[in-house]
Amino acid sequence: MRTLRQAKRARSGSMAIEVAMWLPIMFLLIAGTVQFGKISYTYYTLSEIVNTAATYLAVQNGVNFCPDAGDANITAALQFAVTGTSDGSGDPIVTGLTADMLAVTTQCIDPVTLTLGDCVLSGCSTPVGAQRPDFITVTLPNGYIVQPRIPYLLTDPIPLRPKATVAYGGGS
Amino acid sequence: MERHRVSTGRRFTRGVMSIQLAVILVPVVFGFMGFALDLGRMYLIRGELTQAADAAALAAAAQLIGTGTSLDHAGAVATQALTLNKYNFGSLTLGQDSGNLTSTVNDPAYFATVAGATGTDPSGASADGTTARHIQLTVTADAPLLFFSLLSAGASRKTPIAVQVLAGVSAPLCTACGIEPFAIAAKDISDTVNFGLGDPAGDVHYTFYYNCTGTAPTFLPNSGQSAAYTIINRYDAASTTVTEETDQLFRLGAAGLASSTTPNPTGSPVPIGCVGIGDTVEAVWNSPSFAAVPPTCASRLPALALAALCGLYSRFDNQTPPDACTTGVTNYTALSAAYQPDSDITTGQGDLYSAYQGSGRRVITVPVVNALAPNTATPMTVLGFRQFLVQLAADGTFFNPSDPNGRFVATYIGSPMPVKQGYIDDRFGQSCPAPVPSGPGKVVLHR
Repeated sequence: MRTLRQAKRARSGSMAIEVAMWLPIMFLLIAGTVQFGKISYTYYTLSEIVNTAATYLAVQNGVNFCPDAGDANITAALQFAVTGTSDGSGDPIVTGLTADMLAVTTQCIDPVTLTLGDCVLSGCSTPVGAQRPDFITVTLPNGYIVQPRIPYLLTDPIPLRPKATVAYGGGS
Repeated sequence: MERHRVSTGRRFTRGVMSIQLAVILVPVVFGFMGFALDLGRMYLIRGELTQAADAAALAAAAQLIGTGTSLDHAGAVATQALTLNKYNFGSLTLGQDSGNLTSTVNDPAYFATVAGATGTDPSGASADGTTARHIQLTVTADAPLLFFSLLSAGASRKTPIAVQVLAGVSAPLCTACGIEPFAIAAKDISDTVNFGLGDPAGDVHYTFYYNCTGTAPTFLPNSGQSAAYTIINRYDAASTTVTEETDQLFRLGAAGLASSTTPNPTGSPVPIGCVGIGDTVEAVWNSPSFAAVPPTCASRLPALALAALCGLYSRFDNQTPPDACTTGVTNYTALSAAYQPDSDITTGQGDLYSAYQGSGRRVITVPVVNALAPNTATPMTVLGFRQFLVQLAADGTFFNPSDPNGRFVATYIGSPMPVKQGYIDDRFGQSCPAPVPSGPGKVVLHR
């Protein structure tokens, strides 16, 4: 009777050790899953934001795509994507994201070789402005930095850099 | 004794449960992890694929301009757009394989009608370049599996995700933006499809000439019809970028109506960059320096028409302009660099429109009005928009922008090319007949 009880106790003790061994691993897995979920949710939201900015901008007319031109349409598109209001009065959809973290670049199809290249920007110093682009790309050049928080593990901050390219459909 | 047995039993049961739990829980936990991680990533990838496919289909649909080569152009642009939009956290390129992950972009399917694409029209088989108006794109890509791959169902460590989109031309537009400012008069107002301009399939060549008084100028070779045009008033008095008037006209001729926050100088509620069907106050160009009053035929071409024609000429050649353009347009050199010529500047009057291989730069969309105004005070009513292909001269050279009557040859093609921008409804209150019976549309996604 006594030995049986001891054996039972010993088995239940080894179970406790096993559980104690598994628990941190399970805990890390769950914490990692939560962090992965949070990061991929943020990434998807950012990817929707850059896509919104690109598709909004793709249907605007008279956009000045010169670098540093500060075009009002571009500002409005980025503000709309980031805050949901084209004047930027709303709260940002993703905490800490501002419109100046987004950048718009352009690409043009060469009419002869039909390959993708840079647009002609020689008109930028004159009132003429840049060539009408064929594709516009909205990116986060420096990324949106997220810090994964897993207890007892030091992780590097991850810059999220989603990118959206759409054909420019607007007029000059 | 009773208590002791119970407690022993409980302890015994707890130990067995732990073993069972450990055996059962591992796959269950991996299953849950899979739902959290892998399913989440599958949704992310589906979203990224949808964005890429939408961008590609919209880009490709804009290339469907009713020519034999339009399907090649659409396919090439779709591939370019898909290559630029990556998936799986922006790491993998569509159409390329990476490790065990494959992605395939099916050859796009082209349809003449939406009903044909959705399968509700049994006769709506896939269309060729001259009839295609809609493009259906199917993209399939593998999503990697991490936790599901530890279960037998996910042993291949990936699962395919497919996305299908349909884009094409919309219903005929009520208000078209970015079209060309050369207004012509309808030859037959009762013909709501072609305005008496003839059958688009017949490739009727028109001699366009700047509206003038007296005996109409002679036809250019190869054309049996003529159409007088005038330049509608889109003078942007408050423009902060292109302020000089000949520069503005060059830009309108080179790339169509430019948008601006300046109100329409005609007083119409339609924006300055657009023209609306049913707009009754459209007027000829009228600014402090120029008034587009028709001159006597065969006299000197007015400077405003010359500047607009030089813009039109830049669709053929922006490198070696005629001397009249370099002197007639104030900032010619800077302006012309921003407008690329058409990729096809050789298809001439002897060829059908379906043989045209260009990108549509040579296609102009013009407003058709009830009658051309004889002076700046007479309003014109816009009836619709129709498209013409600007032609080479009969001898294969480019047209002459400094022709005394501003003549050039253009072929009537109906309205096969989607315009850049526009509105289907009469939101600017210009009493547009809805639905518009015929005319160009714009590119939309069909959902």
